[in-house]
Amino acid sequence: MELVSIITPAASDVTDVPSGNLTQAVPDTRTRVIGIIEIVLGLFIALVFGLGCGSAPKSTLSFDPVNLTGTIPWHLSPVTVPTALTNIILGAVVALVGVFILVKSPKRGVMVFFGFGAVLFFFAVLLWAARTPGPSYIGFLNLTAVLVGGASIAMVLIFGSLSGILCERSGVVNIAIEGQFIGGALLGAVIASVTGNFFYAAIGGIVLGGLLGLLLAFLALRYQSDQIIVGVVIVTMMSGLSSYLNLQVLSPYPQYNVGNQAPLVAIPGLAKIPILGPVFFNENAFFYVMILLVITVSVGLFRTRWGLRVRAVGEHPKAAEAVGISVVRTRYRNVVMGGAVAGLGGVAFISLHGQFQPGITSGYGYIALAAMIFGRWRPSGAVAASIIFGLSVYLANNLQTWNIPIGTEILQMFPYIITIAVVSGLIGRVRAPAADGIPYKRD
Amino acid sequence: MTDQATNVAAASSEAPAAPRRSRIRRAWDWYLEGHPVIVTGLAIFLGLVIGGIVIILTTPSVLHAWSNFFSDPWNAIKVSFDSVGAAYRAMFTGSIVDPSAFWHAVTTGQGWTGGSSVLTPMSETLTYATPLVIASIGVGIGFQTGVFNIGANGQAIMGGILGTYVGSMIHVPMAIHLPLTLLAGILGGILAGLIPGFLKAYTGAHEVIVTIMLNYVIVYFLTFVLLSTALEAPGSADGVSRTLDTSAQLPAIFGASSGLRVNYGLVVAIVVVIFAKWFLERSTMGFDFRVTGANPRAARTAGINNKLILILCFVVSGGLAGLAGVTQVSGVNHYIDTNFLVGSAGIGFTAITVSLLGQNKPIGIVWGSLLFAALSVGGRQMQAQTGIPYDLATVIQAVVVLLVASPVLIKEVFRLRGAKTSGIQLATKGWSS
Amino acid sequence: MHLELRGVTKRFGSLVANRNINLNVEPGTIHCLLGENGAGKSTLMNVLFGLLHPDEGEILIDGKPVVINNSGEAVRMGIGMVHQHFMLVPVFTVAENVVLGFEPTRAGFLNHAEADASIRKASEQYGLAVDPHAVVEELSVGLQQRVEILKALNHNAELLILDEPTAVLTPQEIEGLFEIMRNLKAAGKSILFITHKLKEVKAVADMITVIRLGEVVGEATPDMTEQELASMMVGRDVNLTVTKAPKVPGEPMLSVRDLVVLDDRGLPVVNGVSLDVHAGEIVALAGVQGNGQTEFVEALTGLRPALRGTVTLNGHDITNHSPRQILNAGLGHVPEDRQADGLVLSMSVQDNLVLNTPRVAPFARRGTRNLKSVRANAEERVRDFDIRTTSVDAPTSSLSGGNQQKVIVARELSRPLSLLIAAQPTRGLDVGSIEYVHKRIVQERDENRAVLIVSSELDEVLALGDRVAVMFHGQITGIVDPSVGREIIGLLMTGSQISDDSTVTVPANATTTTSSENPSEDPS
Repeated sequence: MELVSIITPAASDVTDVPSGNLTQAVPDTRTRVIGIIEIVLGLFIALVFGLGCGSAPKSTLSFDPVNLTGTIPWHLSPVTVPTALTNIILGAVVALVGVFILVKSPKRGVMVFFGFGAVLFFFAVLLWAARTPGPSYIGFLNLTAVLVGGASIAMVLIFGSLSGILCERSGVVNIAIEGQFIGGALLGAVIASVTGNFFYAAIGGIVLGGLLGLLLAFLALRYQSDQIIVGVVIVTMMSGLSSYLNLQVLSPYPQYNVGNQAPLVAIPGLAKIPILGPVFFNENAFFYVMILLVITVSVGLFRTRWGLRVRAVGEHPKAAEAVGISVVRTRYRNVVMGGAVAGLGGVAFISLHGQFQPGITSGYGYIALAAMIFGRWRPSGAVAASIIFGLSVYLANNLQTWNIPIGTEILQMFPYIITIAVVSGLIGRVRAPAADGIPYKRD
Repeated sequence: MTDQATNVAAASSEAPAAPRRSRIRRAWDWYLEGHPVIVTGLAIFLGLVIGGIVIILTTPSVLHAWSNFFSDPWNAIKVSFDSVGAAYRAMFTGSIVDPSAFWHAVTTGQGWTGGSSVLTPMSETLTYATPLVIASIGVGIGFQTGVFNIGANGQAIMGGILGTYVGSMIHVPMAIHLPLTLLAGILGGILAGLIPGFLKAYTGAHEVIVTIMLNYVIVYFLTFVLLSTALEAPGSADGVSRTLDTSAQLPAIFGASSGLRVNYGLVVAIVVVIFAKWFLERSTMGFDFRVTGANPRAARTAGINNKLILILCFVVSGGLAGLAGVTQVSGVNHYIDTNFLVGSAGIGFTAITVSLLGQNKPIGIVWGSLLFAALSVGGRQMQAQTGIPYDLATVIQAVVVLLVASPVLIKEVFRLRGAKTSGIQLATKGWSS
Repeated sequence: MHLELRGVTKRFGSLVANRNINLNVEPGTIHCLLGENGAGKSTLMNVLFGLLHPDEGEILIDGKPVVINNSGEAVRMGIGMVHQHFMLVPVFTVAENVVLGFEPTRAGFLNHAEADASIRKASEQYGLAVDPHAVVEELSVGLQQRVEILKALNHNAELLILDEPTAVLTPQEIEGLFEIMRNLKAAGKSILFITHKLKEVKAVADMITVIRLGEVVGEATPDMTEQELASMMVGRDVNLTVTKAPKVPGEPMLSVRDLVVLDDRGLPVVNGVSLDVHAGEIVALAGVQGNGQTEFVEALTGLRPALRGTVTLNGHDITNHSPRQILNAGLGHVPEDRQADGLVLSMSVQDNLVLNTPRVAPFARRGTRNLKSVRANAEERVRDFDIRTTSVDAPTSSLSGGNQQKVIVARELSRPLSLLIAAQPTRGLDVGSIEYVHKRIVQERDENRAVLIVSSELDEVLALGDRVAVMFHGQITGIVDPSVGREIIGLLMTGSQISDDSTVTVPANATTTTSSENPSEDPS
């Protein structure tokens, strides 16, 4: 401990020396912090959401799907549990996980434990919010609906974070994900309204997102402009342009923005699995595309020649160039691909929401960026982070309508605060690709 | 290579003839050298051209005229020019001055004051520019220290919140109240700025991520404060704050009866500009800031305490952003609501672009702020007069900044030969370290 | 492979970096390209490796003229390069680094088995043992260099270019590298060995081409004396020694006791160092780069915390004081990496000359800088130290390396000092600047200041030091008079201990570094 506290300030110097090497000496502190956080979280759940609501209230969980049309193929009876007791147990589990981390100090998977704690925390919040007698309008909690809602937000976030991974693994910071979302959503809404077909909308979103990626790549690679500035400005431009087009074109011609939603495609058989079926196998086509993309990017980055080269370019571009890999071409390709994926994400977003309105993406692009960082620039990590963030956003959006007497603003802050904690190394330590964001010059 | 070669050749062939060159020729050479002012001017020009193209592409009547291009080509071109011209004319008269009304005022002596004064456009532009200058200088000082403060908007909101608190909950005479309110705003900005400052100094967390995330946190905090604390106006349920006491408001320079909103915030802004100019160019601390920004390792070796400078930089940058926020509240809004500086009203984001436009230097920032203020204010007038949405101004601003951020692009487009490309090369570093 | 360069010329604007270079590398030989820093060696290598394109002349491989457009093409033509700064991806494994660019695949996926097999084969063939699954950033510098060589071989290189490969190696590692080079030669590979170190040239080269100021000044053979090679390289008779009158040292100015310093990974990289530097004395700290000298200096200057031990300057304890406090206590510091740590390249010469004294009168008063006196100061320094610059307003980036170093030296020597620390003070400088810097350092000592020189150049250590302290693996293995000679100091640099009767004992583990395959070996 003493050793650690002495070297930390020096090593985390403000100079540009990557302090990645630090990881070897420091995991103890970070792990400890996570352990302590888990214990505090567990006690909070047990005390506030458990003991805090007294012994009278009970919470009812229901499972009937909300988005399986027609006859419900299965029915699970609602379960009623005493709120206080359940939450005390949940809190105890979380706290025990914390104790386990403190005692065992596992080298790997600490973030998984953290995610586990976060999910149980959300569950406890739900039970607490839905308790009767209690302040809620709704006397039960539809777990399936919560998961379906969380999954749809997570889907959009995953598109965004995959976009970020594609760009940043090759060494270009794509902070313009939000702008690509806006572009994809707007164009997607128009095309879907005109053609009534989300396939064409998806194509449109891919092309527009790719073009925005090309703009970023062009300015960042050809003119070595600051990538963060270009990204921020692209977001500004797209948000301005979308407001402009909304007033100038969509308002006078509502037929271009009718608000189609993409139909759900049930996978025969699988869709009938209780709870999991509606969440994973009765989604719209974009959801399945997203899953394919996750697998493709994951395998592509870590198992193929392309991925090895992309990562080499993002870590040490000169080394890549020295063996004949074109840094600039690799980056162009990846940034355009990343833009296309984010553009598709924008269409996916609008496929759930229907009508386009300015500001409708409400910062999802930045949450996706956060998910990418929280997920350590890995597709699997980004998926996990997106699920956690997706759930928290869903809850924050919906608890408001339940008339719950807590500031839902606190829940809405969750993804952002977590990301700040992660980049500060308070929980876990992330290490960006070494050349991420640094303009490349051939000598 | 070839560029350099031709440069050398050109220089050597021209050298003996230099004294006899005409004035036009010298002006042309000056243009070709690509002075930053020229580059910025050309960027603005291109931005307006692209804005015009957007208008043409999205205005139904213009598109209709173009669909008949082959039967009546001149009409298509005429209609295009008419709509773009009308839009930009409205932008100009709405943000600077309406020449005919001005002439009328000069000849008759009427219309100088009142609701539709000829000075209103300029007053509005100055009103808009006031907090923008302050916030942009904060961002610019950050850039010069190697810090990318995307969090100016959140810091300004915090300034607004604390300023509103002091301005509406405390009741003392103006001589105390107004300075106290402004100080509270500065304090709010400093508090919000210290978070990324400390985290960057002691954990190496990248300020871009921290401040982006913090901006969202602060927006939710704003909602929370307005819905759940004593700051909410009594009897209001829609998140509107109490109104600032008159003693906490920056008064209008020409008096309330003039109808001109430009207020003493302008004086605050001028003081900030003078301070910033001294700070960056003459002060020893500013020197330390600049050394740290240009080469943090050399700064440390030279005995400069990097961590302290980083934190101080966020104190100065955040404090100025907070001051910008409270200036907006105290001079213009007099209360805050859940939309305060949120979304397109977020001057903190415009401040980043303005700072870049002004090359992070105080005087440049003043010009940049006036330009962007004029575009925004004029945009509203354009929307009122021609129906073309105000957001076009945002698009033009974004295009201008993209071009200024890539000076080489401008030089290639306009065939400038100036080799100096001192653009925005902040050389952002990796995310996590 | 037979490589021939005919009349290769490369210009940068009006500067000619290479003029009419002719070079002939015979197959199966080690051909040495000798030249001092800035002679144009690196430019030539970049031309050969396709990173730069020659303005004139041609490159012939096995008699056929070729055009090399990029490094990929160079690699495909059989040219392999071991860069001075390794071109390895730190987070990749050895195998991933070696196959990068030429990855074996199976059904579109990376074929790790094949990669491992080819690495093992090359390892055995040339004696380049290294674990294919080790992560490169965890390997020692010597092993990383092997990975670089393996990489080139895996790309079927017939001609290997080694660019200053010995700068970062221990003497044993250097010997090991020479062994590998001889193995490669025996296997028929051609090697182009770039260096400015005469002893190494003599040890391993078959043929020598000397270049100076971008031009080939002649061919030489390894049997020529060092003195002859040196004068060819520099263009005049070089006096490798520094004239220095004997001087009796005074009171100790710097006293270091049992200093322990950790590196970024938390490992003790300076491990119990004690050292005194007296007034009017130059102590030269010798040692192969990476044995803790950098961190030692960082600890003395306050840039890195000391875990244990004390540092006393002129009677005051300065252990773990801030850099500013230490500078004010009278320590002058010429940092090792002058562009990264010593200067702000984008700022003007005059600002750089007051970089660590901006608040000192008359440069500032009550927080406001006095720009007039800053300028006056700069003009005086530029005159006194013969700094060649167009104006004091010019950015330091526009100065040559030698003049940049002069700016730093001028700045440090203009303050009242009790101790001057100069780390690698002449690295990368031309001979004229080296002589100037040496002269100034000796002058400081003659004016009775304490001077600590850190250098990995043995010649410099021997020429300047009144006493030589040798550092190895974070410890001082001996403090000797320079007259004991090269061999003894060389042995100390490899970890041999010196006992009171001046006999050197070679520890059994002194040679383990070269053959060690354990990357995470603790230097303590």
